[in-house]
Amino acid sequence: MKEKVDSIKGHVLNAVEQSKPLKIVGGNSKEFLGRATTGTLVDISDYSGIISYEPTELFITARAGTLLSDINNTLSKQGQMLAFDPPNISDKTTIGGVVATGLSGSRRPYSGSVRDYILGIRCINGLGKELTFGGQVMKNVAGYDLSRLMTGAFGTLGIILEVSIKVVPIPEIEITCSRSMTKEKALAKMLELSGQAIPLTASCYDGEMFYIRLSGNENSVRATSKEVDLDIEEQGFNLWNELRDYKAPIFNSDINTWRVSVPTTANPDIGDDPYLVDWGGGLYWLNSERPAKEIFDLAREAGGSAMLFRGSVQDQNMFQPLSNGLLSLHKGLKKAFDPHGILNPGKMYASF
Amino acid sequence: MDFNKFTEFLPPEAVLLSEESKRVYECDALSAHRVMPACVVLPDTVEQVQAILSYCYSSDIPVVARGAGTGLSGGAMPHAEGVLLSLAKFNKILEIDPIQRSARVQPGVRNLAISEAVKSFCLYYAPDPSSQIACTIGGNVAENSGGVHCLKYGLTVHNILQLKIVTIEGELITIGSHAYDSAGYDLLALLTGSEGMLGVIVEVTVKLIPKAPFSRVLLAAFDDIEKAGNAVAGVIAKGIIPAGFEMMDKAGVRAVEDFVHAGYPIDAEAILLCELDGTEEEVQTGLLEVESLLKQYGAIEVRVARDEAESELFWAGRKAAFPAAGRIAPDYYCMDGTIPRKHIAEVLAGINALSKKYKLDVINVFHAGDGNLHPLILYDVAVPGELKRTEAFGSEILQLCIAMGGTITGEHGVGIEKINEMCIQFDDDELEQFHAVKTAFDTKGLLNPGKAVPTLNRCAEFGAMHVHRGKDKFPELERF
Repeated sequence: MKEKVDSIKGHVLNAVEQSKPLKIVGGNSKEFLGRATTGTLVDISDYSGIISYEPTELFITARAGTLLSDINNTLSKQGQMLAFDPPNISDKTTIGGVVATGLSGSRRPYSGSVRDYILGIRCINGLGKELTFGGQVMKNVAGYDLSRLMTGAFGTLGIILEVSIKVVPIPEIEITCSRSMTKEKALAKMLELSGQAIPLTASCYDGEMFYIRLSGNENSVRATSKEVDLDIEEQGFNLWNELRDYKAPIFNSDINTWRVSVPTTANPDIGDDPYLVDWGGGLYWLNSERPAKEIFDLAREAGGSAMLFRGSVQDQNMFQPLSNGLLSLHKGLKKAFDPHGILNPGKMYASF
Repeated sequence: MDFNKFTEFLPPEAVLLSEESKRVYECDALSAHRVMPACVVLPDTVEQVQAILSYCYSSDIPVVARGAGTGLSGGAMPHAEGVLLSLAKFNKILEIDPIQRSARVQPGVRNLAISEAVKSFCLYYAPDPSSQIACTIGGNVAENSGGVHCLKYGLTVHNILQLKIVTIEGELITIGSHAYDSAGYDLLALLTGSEGMLGVIVEVTVKLIPKAPFSRVLLAAFDDIEKAGNAVAGVIAKGIIPAGFEMMDKAGVRAVEDFVHAGYPIDAEAILLCELDGTEEEVQTGLLEVESLLKQYGAIEVRVARDEAESELFWAGRKAAFPAAGRIAPDYYCMDGTIPRKHIAEVLAGINALSKKYKLDVINVFHAGDGNLHPLILYDVAVPGELKRTEAFGSEILQLCIAMGGTITGEHGVGIEKINEMCIQFDDDELEQFHAVKTAFDTKGLLNPGKAVPTLNRCAEFGAMHVHRGKDKFPELERF
């Protein structure tokens, strides 16, 4: 494995010397995300394997190329899991890709996002230096929190070699409850339930049906399922997995699919576009032919941000434009990690 | 340096230049390190903060931001040629949104004041550092503060949504949003715990959490500290995440019991306090399970609090640990390191060996659930050489934490206190990366200079005495 790390470093040093960018990929199951880039391919999918897993310490450390499915299997044998519903898009999805894209599923409002569970990262920066930040312990404030900064940075700040992630116990039981209702009622119900101390781990609305997931202690989940004034779904209900892995109908559209993250109370004016609301009102999946600018304006006015999830837009501007102040900080940070601009340049924004 | 310039955009009473008026600002809660700032400013609007910072930027004046000054690592220790920027007047809660479950507050609002203000909505702000009566939210963000309940509810970084910061150039920037995800890099995480090195926080939006309807504390006594350590790991391994899970050694129990009479068993080698919260049925089943587990791991006594009052009494002892230490010794030095839970017993044995070596008593109270130690070293500053010995003892404890796969600070920050130990935890390349990040925000290095990240030169000097990451040089490890 040391040879692999040396070879990645070699790629970086060559790229610096020749001023040629690198394109970093793991399982490439999320290739459709972000702007298309070119460059010498650095494939980390064979840099794999679980390095350390101790159920009593509540963390797992794995090389970036480790398959998400391998991690899920290893954890579930010990009654544990990743807490943020990471999308398992294909059997090639790697943990490095999960961290680099920073996407969390339906649990996110209730138990946190990928970055909330990141404890540490080992990476190679744009100068070919191998660096370790954070660690395997739960509380660690030594130095800037660069492992969380790299989460969701799409490989533009460093090539992730290894991640340590906090894990949680698998809930004893999960029950899904649902009911057909109007959007107004569903949004109000989401906010009402999210504000209560109940074992809620997901709530969404697909334009017709309102769904919640309750997970945790059996007594508590069963008792709550009777109090929420909804109907209990049959066993084997699959919507949460379909949402997590982007297999629900909203993701199967011929037109652009947008991911719009807004405050839960925003209720943005999305017009007649097909949609699905997840995250207790905080995430809208939209199928829309509207120009990108309209979607970005809509998201900004609602106090949030949008990202083109699937489809195409002019100049590949897929991510919400940044304010001037933020953009200059982003460029500064990119330069701090990758002064020669060789790590996935342009993957998020054209200018860095 | 012309500090009178500040009176052009601040009222005269907000600019302190006299020795006696600046005196209270010369240190934070790490009172062994004192520096008289050249000037103290007390702005009360964001525009004033912007004007102060632009002036400092153009005149190359160092700036140290300060909240309540309760920090334990010297993060707010002033700079002799610089400005101490107090945010004490930013003490207003700007907006409470009980439906969205968030509160937008100024940085000088006290941590506990937020929970008090939202209590009527059955909500609270989760991170609860022990200084929560006095410490401010701005300081909490700067240090990424934790507390007793962060095992289940997370640190500051997990509980904030948005920050407004002013850069050293005087620009106001909004970081994060009231939505769960924001565009671009996770600057919210980067700013949290950045110890005032990257920008000055002028507004914070925190998440609020629905208060659990029921909670109960259980107290367990052990005749052996190793058994107590193993019991902590055992409970967690069973899939139980207590709201709080604290441990105290014999010296701690005795000091506290003499002080608050919480009913702790004073003959125990260690006690554990375990709080469960949730619905009543969930907590009741959980308590039975935890009780039987703790007995399995060798607890000689387990007491479940009969009611809320007794729960509070159990906590009162833990919360009084610091004042109790202050009662039995003229001074105490509170350390803060994190280790993997499985090494708790080993590290405690190591600390006790060091206590003998340095001839200084130590009390151990800590957040066992997350392996976050707080050894309190008892000393007397009036005895010549004792402070120096105390600091050397503390440094060895931190190095032991690193050797065990842990970290030199779990929640108090590096500040000035642990700057040397940073050279052990990180190598030169990593430190250079930190410096590069700092430069991206603060090209001239004017914000809180000399804190949090050591220069490579400083490490080279320090390295003459120590070896990186404790690879070779821990002769005393053999004895642990």
